Amino acid sequence: MTVSSRSTESREPVPLSAGRSEAGLDGRAAEAARANPRGTATAERRAGGGGAAATLSELQEPARARWDALKRGDQPIIWVGMATCGLAAGAAEALKAAEAELEAHGIAAHTIPVGCVGMCSLEPMLDVEKPGGARICYGEVTPEKAREIVRSYLVEGDPRADLALGTVGDVEVAGIPRLSELPMIAPQKRVVTGTFGLINPTDIDHYLAHGGYQALQRALEMDPEAVLAEVERSGLRGRGGGGFPTGRKWRSCREAHGEPKYVICNGDEGDPGAFMDRSIMEGDPHAVIEGMVIGAYAIGAHQGYIYVRNEYPLAVERLRKALADARECGLLGENILGTGFSFDMQINRGGGAFVCGESTALMASLEGMVGEPRAKYIHTVEVGLHGKPTTLNNVETWANVPVIIERGADWFASIGTEGSKGTKVFSLVGKVRNTGLVEVPMGMTLREIVFEIGGGIPGDKRFKAVQTGGPSGGCIPEEHLDTPVDFDQLWEVGSMMGSGGLIVMDEDTCMVNLARYFTGFLRDESCGKCVPCREGLAQMQRILTRICDGEGREGDVELLLHLCDVLDDAALCALGNTASNPVRSTIRWFRADYDEHIRERHCPARECRGLFRYEILAETCNGCGACRRACPEDAISGERRQAHTLDQTKCVHCGACLEACRFDSVVKV
Amino acid sequence: MAIRLTIDGQKVEAQEEQTVLEVAREAGVWIPALCHHPAVSPYGACRLCLVEVEVRGRRRLVTSCCYPVQDGLAVFTQTEKVMGARRGVMELLLARAPDSPTLRELAEKLGVTESRLPKVTEAERDCILCGLCVNVCREVIGAAAISFVERGVEREVGPPFDEASDACLGCGACAAVCPMGTVDLRWHEGELEIVPFKNRVPVVRCRECGEPITGLPYAEQIRARLGEKLASAVELCPTCKRNAAALAQKKAGAAGRAYVHHAKTPYRDQAPCSSERPGRASEPGSDGPDRCSQGVRAK
Repeated sequence: MTVSSRSTESREPVPLSAGRSEAGLDGRAAEAARANPRGTATAERRAGGGGAAATLSELQEPARARWDALKRGDQPIIWVGMATCGLAAGAAEALKAAEAELEAHGIAAHTIPVGCVGMCSLEPMLDVEKPGGARICYGEVTPEKAREIVRSYLVEGDPRADLALGTVGDVEVAGIPRLSELPMIAPQKRVVTGTFGLINPTDIDHYLAHGGYQALQRALEMDPEAVLAEVERSGLRGRGGGGFPTGRKWRSCREAHGEPKYVICNGDEGDPGAFMDRSIMEGDPHAVIEGMVIGAYAIGAHQGYIYVRNEYPLAVERLRKALADARECGLLGENILGTGFSFDMQINRGGGAFVCGESTALMASLEGMVGEPRAKYIHTVEVGLHGKPTTLNNVETWANVPVIIERGADWFASIGTEGSKGTKVFSLVGKVRNTGLVEVPMGMTLREIVFEIGGGIPGDKRFKAVQTGGPSGGCIPEEHLDTPVDFDQLWEVGSMMGSGGLIVMDEDTCMVNLARYFTGFLRDESCGKCVPCREGLAQMQRILTRICDGEGREGDVELLLHLCDVLDDAALCALGNTASNPVRSTIRWFRADYDEHIRERHCPARECRGLFRYEILAETCNGCGACRRACPEDAISGERRQAHTLDQTKCVHCGACLEACRFDSVVKV
Repeated sequence: MAIRLTIDGQKVEAQEEQTVLEVAREAGVWIPALCHHPAVSPYGACRLCLVEVEVRGRRRLVTSCCYPVQDGLAVFTQTEKVMGARRGVMELLLARAPDSPTLRELAEKLGVTESRLPKVTEAERDCILCGLCVNVCREVIGAAAISFVERGVEREVGPPFDEASDACLGCGACAAVCPMGTVDLRWHEGELEIVPFKNRVPVVRCRECGEPITGLPYAEQIRARLGEKLASAVELCPTCKRNAAALAQKKAGAAGRAYVHHAKTPYRDQAPCSSERPGRASEPGSDGPDRCSQGVRAK
């Protein structure tokens, strides 16, 4: 049967064997593997002395057998979302409770940690799969709910449609929708993220069973030139924000003079609110590794690096495990799959600087120097790491490579728009109902993403803008919501797709404060080397702060735009060159907000403290006194059960009254 | 192989591996730069040397100090875009160090009379973080006694842990390349201090006249490199060295006369007996070492 490794639409269970319980978190999974090694691909290698290089089928067979036994065995399976989002929401506690309940009923079950399905607002997510029955996904699973679910579904046979989100896989349950048909999931095209939630990212067998490393085998059977041509034909463009044609980058590197050549994975995801790369590294690290081996083969490199920001310890842990397993299976290192091609890579962690996501700064950091960019008039594909030809690509870019080799450039190019092929992973956050990780074909409109997949704005608030591209991008107002998302079309409305962060804002968001936030972020992260960025951002932040503090002056907006010009023209690297975008775009689409701050000392979104008033509505106030008691300045007075009043001269705009009122009687004006 | 390009329409020839700034300077075309020095690799930090280049029909702003020349390149040093960018950068610099004579002089040349911007960053003794001192110390001297510390607006130049560095040789190269007068040599009784880095080294004095010559660690390095026969290089001050050389020539019978010269040495005002009067080592117009690139004098 065909094994499609990457798309949820055509997922079929692959025959596997020899189930055993793989408890909980990575460390525990690894321990369990060591304790019970029989039957794993890595174990077979170890048993065989790890001598002659394995063929892929020698690795796939035990892997598939294990998977088969898991899915067709007689033990139920508990699948738990154990990415950072799940863990932060309490997945470990939920799992513990589930395990306790299982033990109490004497039920032996497999527990498998999986990556992030993408419905982050509903974490912790826990799936229960009955042997021969349905796999049901439950969301917002507290320890209490976990016990209830185990009891209800596994013991009493009640799938609890009231708690269920949806079914996963082929077996359906009346009254419960298929997860893939939910409004948040259905419009998506989960190519790169397709395996998230379905495989244990710390188990190479799961990856192998789902067709993993087949692309690598295929690539190694091709000529490196042919592999490169396939990537060129696909139209893949860099997913880290630059959108540079990947095939062209690889070709330049391949043709450059100098040995040795290097490939680097940029895992220094730094945009606030972006977690696409983190999810990929945590949810399917092998996809990244496989992509890099294929790329190294096409380019002629034998050494690679994955540079991961230090603030992603789970991603580092999962990548480490994946690298170790891949090496053990002969998929990395000397003589890969017996083809004679050798390539290995190591993980380097960043030191906590956003600027190290810039390619030349990253390479300086890898060399042990301060992460500072340099001029790129001579490209890094010619003179890069240690002065040698280097190909640096983003995590998501690398993860797309196996897909392209396996399913072909034509298939890849059939998705997306004219100039932007394939899909894009986005982190959808902010004032939107369904926050999480989504993957859509290039060309889907912002409106579709925010209102269909995202479920619209919570609390019946009005949409104001969506920020794309983080600190390097701009905001897009309602009138341009029908802009298709791709590299080029967002540019025309003053933004850029960036690495995939989508921050939704509503009527309560102050756009001037937003500009100040991003400018402040960049000012803190600026390396300080060049004058325009170091001095310019400090100046811009000072102006924006004054405006938000009610000390804006006529001419401030013009001065901001002038400083934007200087940054655009004179800054050394992309951090400085794109820093003007949040300021420019907010001025372009929300000039009136700026003017109101400056001329009327009033914040239309009622966010900037001191630039709006709190008022008590006499009509609805019932005199409960909660606000009076909460006020630290004794600015509120009133008799019991009489409408209270707020003395504006004493008010310090702290908002305690609004928080205290349970009758919606304190409003911002 | 000669490379042919044009600068502001003027045809010039260049060698491979040269930068646009180098070629422009050779051709007598003025391009401002503060973080550039011929002895140090280009750094591209100050952004004043921006020019427009056109290649294959595409035009863009680049820093000429880092941009390699290529055949058929068209360089434009005075376009509106270039001038606008330079002035913008100058305004930011003036805001940082408003009292710097170097900046004021350069600003005037660029047509910037004052900055509209307030001072928002702290500059130690007008330091503009051009990196010349750091780069010369690491790259040319090989001591790496000072480095950049912190990031962004907090960035400074200093010795490790903000304490006097053992690695400092007292050679004074940092002071020699500093365009702003930030880095300076201060002579104390028996000691040379590199301001503002707190590095202090003992001083080597001329065995003839007692004038201080240079820092001891530096003198020892030179001595080690040159060998005993050339020890006079670090045992005699420039004046006494000239006298000794002239005397040796006379003894050897060559034409010429003993030339006793009591020229003002750069540090005469800083003689040990006047150690209570520390100050800048060099005055404008003195024949002291030219400590600034492109001849812009420090205070």
